[in-house]
Amino acid sequence: MAQRYFGGCDVGSTTGKAIILDEKGAILASVIIPSEIDPELTSRLALEQACAQVPGLGDYKDLSYLIGTGYGRNEVPFADENISEISCHAMGTFSCSPDIKTIVDIGGQDVKAIAIDDRGAVLEFAMNDKCAAGTGRFFEAMSRVFRMDLEAFSALSLKAGRVIPVTSQCSVFAESEVISLLAKRNPPEEIAAGIQTAVSKRCFTLLKRIGMRPRVTVTGGCAKNRGLIRALSKMLAMEVAELPVDPQIIGALGAAVYARQRSNGTGG
Amino acid sequence: MKTADRKALKVFQELLENPVNRLVEQAAGDGRIPLGYSCSFVPEPLLMADRLFPVRLHATGIAGTEIADNYLSSLVCSYTRSILEFAFDDRYDLLQGWVFVPSCAHMQRLQDNLEYLKKPGFVHTIDVPRKVSEATLDWMEEELHMLSDRLASHFQVDMGPDSLDKAIASWNEYAETVKAVGELRKRPDPPLTGTEFHAMLMASLASPKDLIMPEIRAFRDEVEQQGDITGHRARLMVVGGHLHDPDFIRVIESQGGLVVADRFCTGSIPGLMPVETNGRGPVRALAEHAFRKTLCPRMMEDFDRRLQSVIDIVREYNVDGVVIEVIKFCDLWGVDSMPLVTALRDKGIPVLKLEREYRLGGEGQLRTRVQAFLESMGR
Repeated sequence: MAQRYFGGCDVGSTTGKAIILDEKGAILASVIIPSEIDPELTSRLALEQACAQVPGLGDYKDLSYLIGTGYGRNEVPFADENISEISCHAMGTFSCSPDIKTIVDIGGQDVKAIAIDDRGAVLEFAMNDKCAAGTGRFFEAMSRVFRMDLEAFSALSLKAGRVIPVTSQCSVFAESEVISLLAKRNPPEEIAAGIQTAVSKRCFTLLKRIGMRPRVTVTGGCAKNRGLIRALSKMLAMEVAELPVDPQIIGALGAAVYARQRSNGTGG
Repeated sequence: MKTADRKALKVFQELLENPVNRLVEQAAGDGRIPLGYSCSFVPEPLLMADRLFPVRLHATGIAGTEIADNYLSSLVCSYTRSILEFAFDDRYDLLQGWVFVPSCAHMQRLQDNLEYLKKPGFVHTIDVPRKVSEATLDWMEEELHMLSDRLASHFQVDMGPDSLDKAIASWNEYAETVKAVGELRKRPDPPLTGTEFHAMLMASLASPKDLIMPEIRAFRDEVEQQGDITGHRARLMVVGGHLHDPDFIRVIESQGGLVVADRFCTGSIPGLMPVETNGRGPVRALAEHAFRKTLCPRMMEDFDRRLQSVIDIVREYNVDGVVIEVIKFCDLWGVDSMPLVTALRDKGIPVLKLEREYRLGGEGQLRTRVQAFLESMGR
């Protein structure tokens, strides 16, 4: 019998991610691309690149099962079905670290806290999607103020010996506050650390709403921000667990895991 | 989820496009007197006597509250700000009077501002007690007599017992008809969606009952002739405060959660109970009716009854999960929803709590929440 492949495609507001699994659940391909304006185009490009990484797989039409997720999940017309990113982040995390019970997913335009059960299903969730504070967009705006990219911004915050509190949690007002603090010649690394602390407080609030249980991890692109992870660990008084795979592809991974389950009739 | 395309639904949607719709205009053109009200404690039959008719205040389709925001704080709920905005836009000018209840501090600020900035020809406040006892029923009866007397003298209408009995009979016919349509939602595969039911309900609350009744009957007939709604993932109940826009239900149902029951201020359960006349006069019957048909968090020492009503409806309508919707900054529902969520979950009932604005916004986020809720229920 021919080899079967299972795909997950996470169409986010900032990036598109695609994962392809084999019959045993091993990751064969993993792709992250910047999002296009058209979510369908994003998903198509991400899947094409992922399929090209798998010898013997023609294109995404040859996938045995494909699941779309992310904000653009309804715009993946070639997917067999779509599942919310909340469920997919839970399943993606569970598939690689089953001992993790709580997730903070920091995406481009929202932040979610997710509690997961012993089978990778969602127990409870809370979302902050009314404003950009604490999201990937927020960090992009902040690093722009510092005239550096996100990686350099994160590294800068890690150099701080103390933290200058950034009081405003609104993206627009926080930007003004940071500009004022910089103009007063406060150490940039301490201001950067203050921004990380402000966001970690926001995550803490969401986590409290869902009844946080250890271990806790962060998924989404912002999980790569080491300064934020350090600030969050301090806020939670516990180590934030590191995932064995790129935290940015967890949603797509969860979708691919669901695709494999659905195709094999193993529920999910 | 397989749904039907109904002619009658389009009529209700069209009637909800304006807070003062064409049926209100038609009745007013015939010399009848439309009165606006915003709270379920206002006994509608009292406003249906003689030439009077009630119009539930809504601001469906509002785009923003720029003018109202100058007068009402941003910490006041968006429902009251929306009503004030529409008042500034002259959208309620055909109404000849407003009947208020001091339901909450926000509603009282709306009334203050309305009287100060755009004084209506007739304004009355029913001082509804916050506890139910024989003494407060006496109080409520007296309050309704005062309103009745004012209506009679201001509008020169007949508010006598015979006139009120006739109004109660009209209300009961309307309530029984809508309730019968609502009963269809108990079926395993109901013949109508929650969106359709809510559009019918809201349109009828904002229209003269005698003029909307033919449309309701046509809808009922259409529903009974067409097939059932099949393919839904779960049966949901919506609980909360003022919910006027059927599109909110539509977004929930777009994810496969069929809304089969409601328990909100402008819902049918228990809002559309017929008035029980008890031989103690129509005003006394209406006083008792106001408390029986309303389950509001403003009432003191009544949480257990509110909770039990939700649990009973969950069982009666075979509900899989409850969606609690709370307008941001609504003090009453904001506080009540916290123990409600815990108590329902303790009973094993899945609950999704949604904080929202009066106006439907952020459809994508709402869809994500509902989809994730259904998935978490294993649906």
